[in-house]
Amino acid sequence: MAISLRSDSAKGYALSMPAVVYVGFLVAVPLALMVAHSFWTQDYIDINRELTLENYRQAVDDPLIRLLLIRSVVIAGLVTGLTVLLAYPIAYFIAFKTQKKALWLILVTIPFWSSYLLRVFAWKLILGYNGVLNSGLLTVGLIDEPLSFILYNPNAVVLTLAHAWAPFAILPIYVSLQKIDPSLLEAATDLGNTAIERFLRVTLPLSIPGVIAASLIIFIPTVGDYVTPALVGGADGKMIANLIQVQFGAANDWPMGATLSIMAILVVAFVAAVFVISLRSAGRRIR
Amino acid sequence: MKATEKPLLSRSIIAGVAVAGAIWSGEVKAEGSDLRVFDWSGYEDSGFFQPYMDKHGSAPSYAFFGSEEEAYTKLRSGFSSDLAHPCIGVTRKWADAGLIKPLDTTKIKNWDQLLPTIKTVSGVAFDGKTWMMPFDWGNSGLIYRTDKVDAEKISLDLVTGPEFEGKVAIPDIVTSAYAMASLAIGLRDWTNMTDAQFKEASAYLRKLHKNVRFYWSDPGQLDQALASGEIVAGWGWNQTELNLLANKTPATMMKDVDKGVATWVCGYVHLANGTMSDEQVYDMLNALSDVNSGKYIIEAWGYAHANADAYGKVDPALVKSYGFDNAEVFLKESLLTSALDPKTEAKMTKEFERIKAGF
Repeated sequence: MAISLRSDSAKGYALSMPAVVYVGFLVAVPLALMVAHSFWTQDYIDINRELTLENYRQAVDDPLIRLLLIRSVVIAGLVTGLTVLLAYPIAYFIAFKTQKKALWLILVTIPFWSSYLLRVFAWKLILGYNGVLNSGLLTVGLIDEPLSFILYNPNAVVLTLAHAWAPFAILPIYVSLQKIDPSLLEAATDLGNTAIERFLRVTLPLSIPGVIAASLIIFIPTVGDYVTPALVGGADGKMIANLIQVQFGAANDWPMGATLSIMAILVVAFVAAVFVISLRSAGRRIR
Repeated sequence: MKATEKPLLSRSIIAGVAVAGAIWSGEVKAEGSDLRVFDWSGYEDSGFFQPYMDKHGSAPSYAFFGSEEEAYTKLRSGFSSDLAHPCIGVTRKWADAGLIKPLDTTKIKNWDQLLPTIKTVSGVAFDGKTWMMPFDWGNSGLIYRTDKVDAEKISLDLVTGPEFEGKVAIPDIVTSAYAMASLAIGLRDWTNMTDAQFKEASAYLRKLHKNVRFYWSDPGQLDQALASGEIVAGWGWNQTELNLLANKTPATMMKDVDKGVATWVCGYVHLANGTMSDEQVYDMLNALSDVNSGKYIIEAWGYAHANADAYGKVDPALVKSYGFDNAEVFLKESLLTSALDPKTEAKMTKEFERIKAGF
C-alpha cells in the first residue's frame, strides 16, 4: 500500500514537472524580478539596487498615474458589464432554447479563428474616418461629413474589447446554466411562479458562478490591455499598460515600469475581490 | 503570487535566462557571411554594400530590431553583433553603456567624401572621438495637404489655431514631438536647451494637443489619415511625403528651414562585443559609404546619403524634387535630432506623457 502510494505520488510529481518548470521559469522568476525591480531605481544606464520605496511614493503622488489606473478599471468594468449583459441571453438561448447546441457553440467561437490583433484592426476599419460605418451613413445620407468622434476615444476601446472577449463570457455562463436541474424550474412553476419570477429566483442565482467566472476572465486581462487602447484609444483612451510600456521603452525606467505593474496587479486583485464577494452575497440574498 | 514571498533566485540563473534568450534570438538571421549586422528591417538590401559582396562573396548575416530601445535592451542583455545601425540620438547612451567602440576614420577610405557637417554632428562625434559612420539621413517636418492648407500661410504656429481642431497628428515619439516644439519656439540647436525653453516648448505641445487627432505610432497611420483627409497636417518623415505623392494625394513637406524642419541622421557603429576582424568590419563600412551605395539609396529609397559625391551621380531633377540639392546648407540650418543630455530627455519623456493625457 505504502509502496504504491509512493509510486503514485512519484507519478504525480513526474506528471506535474513540465508545468512546474514552465510556470517556475516563465511566471515565478519574472514575477520575482519584477517585484525586486519595483524597489530598485534607475540611474541613467545602471540600476541602483538599493532597496527603496521611492518609486511607489512617486507613483502614488502622481495624478496622471491615478487617472490612468482609474480609467483602466472603469474601461475594464464597462467592458465586463457590457460583455456579460450581451452574452447572457446568448448563453441562455444555447442552454435552454435550442437543440443544436454544438453548432451554436462553434459559431460563438468563430471570432477566435482570427487573431486578436486583426480583430482590433477590423474595428479600426469599421470606425475609421473613411471606414465602413461612416461611408455607410454617408451613402444612406444620414450624415454630410464623416463622424470623427467614433474612433480614438474610450468608447472605441470598450466596443472593441467587448467584441473581442465575448466568447469568454458566453462559455462559462452557458456551462453554469446547463448544469441547472430542470426539476427545480418545474417546481417553481408548480408553486405558482411566473416565468420572470422563475428566472429571477431560480435560474439567475444558480448561474451566478458562471457570471462571476465570466466577469473575472474578462476584467482581469482587459485592465492591462495594451494593444487596443494603443490602436483605437487615441490620447483620451490610453490605459495604464500604455504608460508601463513607455517606462520599459522610451523612458528606460524599468523600476518605475515594474512599480506600475505591481500597482496595477494590486488594484485588479482588490477590485476583483470586492466584486466576487458582493456578487456572491447578492446571489444568496435573491435566493 | 507565492513566488514573491520566496527569496530572489540567484543572479546566475537570471544571467543564464538572459543568455539563453540572446542565443535563441541570435539564431534568427539571414544566410550570409560571418560578419553580423544588427539593423532596421530592409537595410539588408545588397544594393547598399555591393563592393563587400564582390570581395567576400556573400552578404553579412543580418539580425533586425524594430526600435532603438528594443535594440538597446537586446544588446545590453548580451546579444552580440559586429555592426549596428542606430541614429545619432542614442549613440552617446550606447557609448556610456559600453556597447560601442570608437571608429578609426583613417580606415574608412570614403571618409573624405562624406558631407563635412554630418561628420562632426554631435552623436557621430563626441568626447573627441568618432563613434558612428553616418550613412543615411533625411527630414522630419510638417507634411500638409496643399489643397486644404494655404502653402503661403503654413507654419508651426498656424496648426495650433482653432481651425485645425482634430486635424493634426504628431508622432508618439517624445524626441520627434520636442524637435517640432523646439522649432516652433525658434530653437534650431536643442542640445543646450534651457529650462525656460523647455517650458516654452512644452507649452507649445500643450496648445497643439487640443488639435491632435491622434499621436501616430506607425507612419502608415499618418499616411492614411492624410490621404483620406481625416487630418490635414502632421509631423512625419520623408517617406510619408513620397508615399502621398505616389498615391497622387496633393501634399508636401514644409522644408523651408526658416519655418522649421528637422533632420535625422543614422549610421553604423562598431559594437564592443563584435568578434569579426577589423578588416571585415571596415570592408563593410567602406562598401556602405561608397558613392554607388549612395546613388542607390537616393534613387531606390528616396533617402539622402552621407556621401557628398553621390548626389552628382543622380538625375539632378530627382535630387531637387527630394530637396537634397543643397545638402550642406540644409544640414546646417535644420534642427539635428542629436543626442540630448540624459536628464533633459528623461524630463521630456515624463512631460510628454502628461501632455498626451491632457495634463
